[in-house]
Amino acid sequence: MMLLPDPLQKLINALERLPGIGPKSASRLAFFLLRAPEDAAADLADALTDLKEKIAFCQECFNITEAGRERCEVCESPQRDAGILCVVEEALDVLALERTGGYFGKYHVLHGVISPIEGIGPDDLKIKPLIERVERGEVNEVILATNPSMEGDATALYLHQQLERLGVNVTRLARGLPVGGDLEYADQSTLLRALAGRQAMN
Amino acid sequence: MYLNHLSITNFRNFARLDIDIPRRVILLVGDNAQGKTSLLEAVYFLAACTSFQTNVDRQVVNFLEAKGDSLAVARLVAEFQKGNSRHRLEVRLILEPIGSNGKRLRKEVLVDGVKKPVNEAIGLFNAVVFVPQMSQIIEGRPEERRRYLDLALAQVIPAYTRTLSEYGQALSQRNALLKLLNERGGDVDQLFVWDETLSRLGSEIILWRIRAVQELERFAGRTHHRLTNGSEILRLAYQPSYDPLPKPEGQIPMELDTPVDRSNLKLEEIQIGFTERLNQLRQEEIARGVTTIGPQRDEIRLLANGLDLGDYGSRGQIRTALLSLKLAEVEWMKERTGHWPVILFDEVMAELDLQRRSDLLAYLEESEQVLLTATDVNMFAPGFIEQAAVWDVQAGTVKNRSPEA
Repeated sequence: MMLLPDPLQKLINALERLPGIGPKSASRLAFFLLRAPEDAAADLADALTDLKEKIAFCQECFNITEAGRERCEVCESPQRDAGILCVVEEALDVLALERTGGYFGKYHVLHGVISPIEGIGPDDLKIKPLIERVERGEVNEVILATNPSMEGDATALYLHQQLERLGVNVTRLARGLPVGGDLEYADQSTLLRALAGRQAMN
Repeated sequence: MYLNHLSITNFRNFARLDIDIPRRVILLVGDNAQGKTSLLEAVYFLAACTSFQTNVDRQVVNFLEAKGDSLAVARLVAEFQKGNSRHRLEVRLILEPIGSNGKRLRKEVLVDGVKKPVNEAIGLFNAVVFVPQMSQIIEGRPEERRRYLDLALAQVIPAYTRTLSEYGQALSQRNALLKLLNERGGDVDQLFVWDETLSRLGSEIILWRIRAVQELERFAGRTHHRLTNGSEILRLAYQPSYDPLPKPEGQIPMELDTPVDRSNLKLEEIQIGFTERLNQLRQEEIARGVTTIGPQRDEIRLLANGLDLGDYGSRGQIRTALLSLKLAEVEWMKERTGHWPVILFDEVMAELDLQRRSDLLAYLEESEQVLLTATDVNMFAPGFIEQAAVWDVQAGTVKNRSPEA
């Protein structure tokens, strides 16, 4: 069996660690970069180095921000309501909520969810800083916006228990039918949840 | 409901089968190992998306096809009539190579040509199957009985499969946490989250099982009484590992043959009780690193005249009880879904005396569609054979003996 030169094999191994990339895609990408013009590889390498050097986490909400800043744009903005905190799993979720243009509070990024199988407990997430933020007393409402998965729900349940005793108002994102969706094509459990969470018309 | 058409590709010893199926009793005749039971297995697969035998799903893909490292696909397509509507159900079993030497079985289900998640397709088409090896349900380990009940419930309660798999997921998470707490210590309060999740899902499963066992017992008791000429009373005793009923003083275990009525329990009661029990067991469960109560440890026992059939039943008694249970499943499914399930009975006649045989056949003739296997067609009365379609099953091929049908 032919062995690949060490640098190539190292790249393939590194690519394979990326989410959604299997051994086949990893080698395809590696060979593409091998054949690509030099600057394609150099651009990628630079981008990767910059990623680690020039991106930092906001010390307040742990969202991503440019290096050198202590706090992110949202946290520093005086326009944002410091009384409402939206707790999300990942920084990408902040982006999704920002795109709605309908949320004017602040955020808190947990960087994961509780999952004992993967060895992730509350201490591995940004839960302590969240509690400290709430304890400082500015916050009236915490919106739990973790994903509606089992682990997301479990994390929300845990946060609820932890925050309840601080006397803050804790809410959870509603779950139900997508806008513009078709009742007929909704899956059973979404429909059941929507039914359970029905609201009076006013 | 009944099948109009069935086509099978690479399933067990069937390389290819394409056949119209009449709406009545079909006798599958042939020697052993020709494919009679596999045909029943294929039809049942369409109902449950799994085999009635434990852990054999990947073996049903034709092994000649599955040889080597290429991809192998078994395909089942049924057109069936349910009430006024006609549907097409397709199940694909794809055995694909992964890594250097492993293979993975992937299931795809298409309902009327549209891909659906497996747990949404179960229950669209209903079937009840009886094969002699199923005496394991009575004699075998508790997981055989749980599996039996789960498969029956999955066909009847649309949300059951999903709840069961979510329960399994919650259980794995909780067990992982118990293990972590055992080995490394840590904040015990975290358990609260998983106690809550486990009991929410677990209480639904317990309640469904309570009702199912009760309803099945009602039908099975009646049938069994008839099948045994009134000499035996059959009971199904559900013994939930977490029992929501308060134990009598001093925690004396309940006598098995004392009927217990759990029908008045409410979902919330079960959930609250379940959570409380988990709370009481917390220290013990951390010490053992595993969840010790819940539906994953439930037991169902079958009793004839108060005697546990799993321990003391004779072969004949067990076969008769199994038949009663299966006929009860038919009745139960019919009551729950409003449609006759397709009945799949393998070598069911051999154990019955003449009177029982004609009773059973008379009952089966009332239903919409029955697939019956036999090595010897003479076991059936000539009048019955005239009414039925007779198919010869030989080496993975099926021939209709009465082509005018």
